[in-house]
Amino acid sequence: MIRFHPHTQQLESFVEGSLSPAVSILVSAHCDMCSHCQRIVEIETERLASSLFEDNRVSEPLFSPDFDNMLAHITQMPSAVHPDHPAQSRHHKPRSHNKERSASTIELDGRAFTLPRTLRRYADKTGNWSSLVGKLWQAPVELGNQGVANFIYMGPGGSVPEHTHRGTEYTLVLDGEFSDGLNNYDTGDFIFMDDQHTHTPRADKKEGCLVFSIVDQPLHFTSGLARLLNPFSHLFFR
Amino acid sequence: MLVGIPLEQSNSAIKPKECAVEMSEYLVAVAEHRCKRSFARVFNYFAPRLRSYALKQMGNEALAMELVQDTMSNVWQKSHLFNAEKGSPSTWIFTIARNIRFDMLRKLQNRKEDVCSDDLWPVLCEQTADLNEAPLDEQVTLEQIGHLFEALPDKQQTVIESIYIDGKSQQEVADELDIPLGTVKSRTRLALQRLKGMLQDSE
Repeated sequence: MIRFHPHTQQLESFVEGSLSPAVSILVSAHCDMCSHCQRIVEIETERLASSLFEDNRVSEPLFSPDFDNMLAHITQMPSAVHPDHPAQSRHHKPRSHNKERSASTIELDGRAFTLPRTLRRYADKTGNWSSLVGKLWQAPVELGNQGVANFIYMGPGGSVPEHTHRGTEYTLVLDGEFSDGLNNYDTGDFIFMDDQHTHTPRADKKEGCLVFSIVDQPLHFTSGLARLLNPFSHLFFR
Repeated sequence: MLVGIPLEQSNSAIKPKECAVEMSEYLVAVAEHRCKRSFARVFNYFAPRLRSYALKQMGNEALAMELVQDTMSNVWQKSHLFNAEKGSPSTWIFTIARNIRFDMLRKLQNRKEDVCSDDLWPVLCEQTADLNEAPLDEQVTLEQIGHLFEALPDKQQTVIESIYIDGKSQQEVADELDIPLGTVKSRTRLALQRLKGMLQDSE
């Protein structure tokens, strides 16, 4: 059961389009998995649209003469529906053919994990899996200027060394469960961590746990051999 | 030609509910018959409102008008994707505008299409995103760093291990090994430099 959701404020910013793109990806993927937040997003979208476009008290700017030209220009454009196949419009199913080129699953160790819709495009941009320590696997996802996100798979008993965060870390549980000494997390949970949190993620169930994670600053490892990683942690988890 | 159709003042007096019903009907007429007259009604209602939204968002008249034009072009071309059961015309048109604004801002910031609005809010699902594959650097693993660590001279290994794994201070290490603090510092620096060099080579 999903117990950890984005804040209402984050959902509102997501609807406005003002949340950072990287965090938007995680919020969007969470909503793919969480009907509760999906509903909040729908309501918020309606509310915002209505306040922007249906409030007649807002005095509108004078009708610009540019609008006449714009209208004439637009209505001369062809429809997106191919004129030879008008029936297509009625039978068009949203999100059909083209999108399906993106893989809907990600594979590791002979297992295929189904991805939430938002993350499907990134399945194609995912690098190879590499082993970090024992039962911990990571595959980086290039997000351009947004930095690097990672699919992280914790095999049964696998654990990320204890660490804290210099920046922020957003994690979405895609498949399985894990605990980190602070809480237990289940599939669909949306987890936010910053420098106030020190934790040791660990998957104990035999299915292991797949998460998607975005950090804006390298992690800071706080114990054991992993401390050796700190001077180089920007090369690992970032 | 529809140029010159006057702005109907009645538009601004109608109640939101009635407005939604009326606008839905126009959008259906556009989808089914490419009805320019119906589109003009939708346009006349939404274009000025979109412009004031766009001005606030983009802070610039030219960009604002570009946003209005792109949004209304999509409404004209993709009206068959509007579904009154799923939401009001305002909501549908807002989501289109919001998505275009999102992509415009990404573009203005010279970002590649790393994150595109269609992934976040698939309103106009016919659009497909470019799949620009970026080559990914080789990843460094903890095991690799372990091997590199073993390749360090013994004296450097001892210092690094004491500081980074045992968590001792440089002074403590100096006292234990009975060597000057400056030597501990330089060994640490040399070791980290060397590890960094090896990591870069292994990439």
